[in-house]
Amino acid sequence: MRNLFAFIYRFRAFLIFVLLEALCIFLIVRYNTYQGAAMFNSANTYVGQVLEFQSGVTDYFRLASVNSTLARENAALRQELMLYREEAEADSTAQLDTTLYAPTDTLKAQPFILHAGRVINNSVRRTNNYLTLAAGSQDGVKPGMGVISPNGAVGRVKTVSKKYATVTSLLHSQMLISAKIKKNNTFGTIKWTGGDYRTALLDYIPLHVKPEIGDTIVTSGYNTVFPEGINVGTISKVDREADKSFYTIRVQLAVDFAQLSYVYVVENPLRVERDSLELEAGIQPNE
Amino acid sequence: MNSSLGLRHIVQFVVFVALQILLMDSLVLFGTGFSFIYIAFLLFLPIDMNRVLLLFLGFVAGFAVDIFYDTMGIHAAASVLLAYLRPFILNLLTPRDGYDTNDSVNIHIMGWRWFLAYALTLILVHHTAVFLLEIFSLEGLSAAVPKILLSVLFTGVVMVILQLLFFSLKRANR
Repeated sequence: MRNLFAFIYRFRAFLIFVLLEALCIFLIVRYNTYQGAAMFNSANTYVGQVLEFQSGVTDYFRLASVNSTLARENAALRQELMLYREEAEADSTAQLDTTLYAPTDTLKAQPFILHAGRVINNSVRRTNNYLTLAAGSQDGVKPGMGVISPNGAVGRVKTVSKKYATVTSLLHSQMLISAKIKKNNTFGTIKWTGGDYRTALLDYIPLHVKPEIGDTIVTSGYNTVFPEGINVGTISKVDREADKSFYTIRVQLAVDFAQLSYVYVVENPLRVERDSLELEAGIQPNE
Repeated sequence: MNSSLGLRHIVQFVVFVALQILLMDSLVLFGTGFSFIYIAFLLFLPIDMNRVLLLFLGFVAGFAVDIFYDTMGIHAAASVLLAYLRPFILNLLTPRDGYDTNDSVNIHIMGWRWFLAYALTLILVHHTAVFLLEIFSLEGLSAAVPKILLSVLFTGVVMVILQLLFFSLKRANR
């Protein structure tokens, strides 16, 4: 027995080393999946405060580009509003409207709700990138909600605290977004493979469709994270490999992730109902 | 020169981790060169440091960075590895007549060759661990190699600059 204790004492450094490494590996395996609650992360209140302080300083250097983005978005919204107003002025057949869509289409009746959030921490150059927002559960943000910017899809909320939220960026090796080619509604999966933060891969586009360079890619709306038709990017390169039954398509992303400053968290009021129905029917959510 | 763990090292911990999170996070060379300067805290600890305490300090430093980087466990694992290997490297690099009582990890006291051999070896171990754990497989190995090499160089240069700026001979002899 004494020998055993002597042995343990002699190798105490090595044993503690093994123990700590085992703990680290456990943490890596447990918390580095792209979707999954984490106890310690940048949504933590104290960590969030530090990051908010940091972005409070660095934000001044980006004010010009932030202003021009907001101004451009304002212009686009005004244009759209004018279009609607014009239509409303000219349109006297509001009662006929029901012929265009079924009056029971729940998506039409209950639109998505947007919560604005400021980006206080952001990365684009790692293998797995995350954002931290200064908007948390008290602003209505919940895990699993989609995040969009004026230019297009950004990512998905991973965890929230009272005042902060961490978002799995589209630039994450395990993040998949259901998307489609806008002109012919062929749907595939957007995936980021690392490297350049301006391009991603569009997978599972079958060979019988003819994707062309410059085609717009938008979200499909086939899951409850993003509304349908949010911009993702444009096709920059189409490859056809001999041994694959799908195209390899490179997509130029619409969002410049290095320049993100304000984003919107998308709340779908019907999400719980739709998800539980699909789960009940045995459909696995295809993220 | 006080060789035990004191206020000076607590201040160094805070400063290096803050430097990492606030400044080095956004300072990336050509999209491949990262600087993980917080390990300077571990490297600059006293030479005759208790091994077990060193391991725990390595874990704490790595964990603090992990929280801000949202990379739970990766930096902690690499830092613990560094803390474990540090005494062995120090042993290997022992001068002919052993370490003096007032020796510390200082480029002026120990000389350029000793410092570079010591720092670059440990930085290489740490960075290799970080980038390999990040990809978590061997398929992205070819992409990781230039990242590792450039990052080791970057961190090494920053560390030497820190040594020359803040670890002058006068202060070390105080």
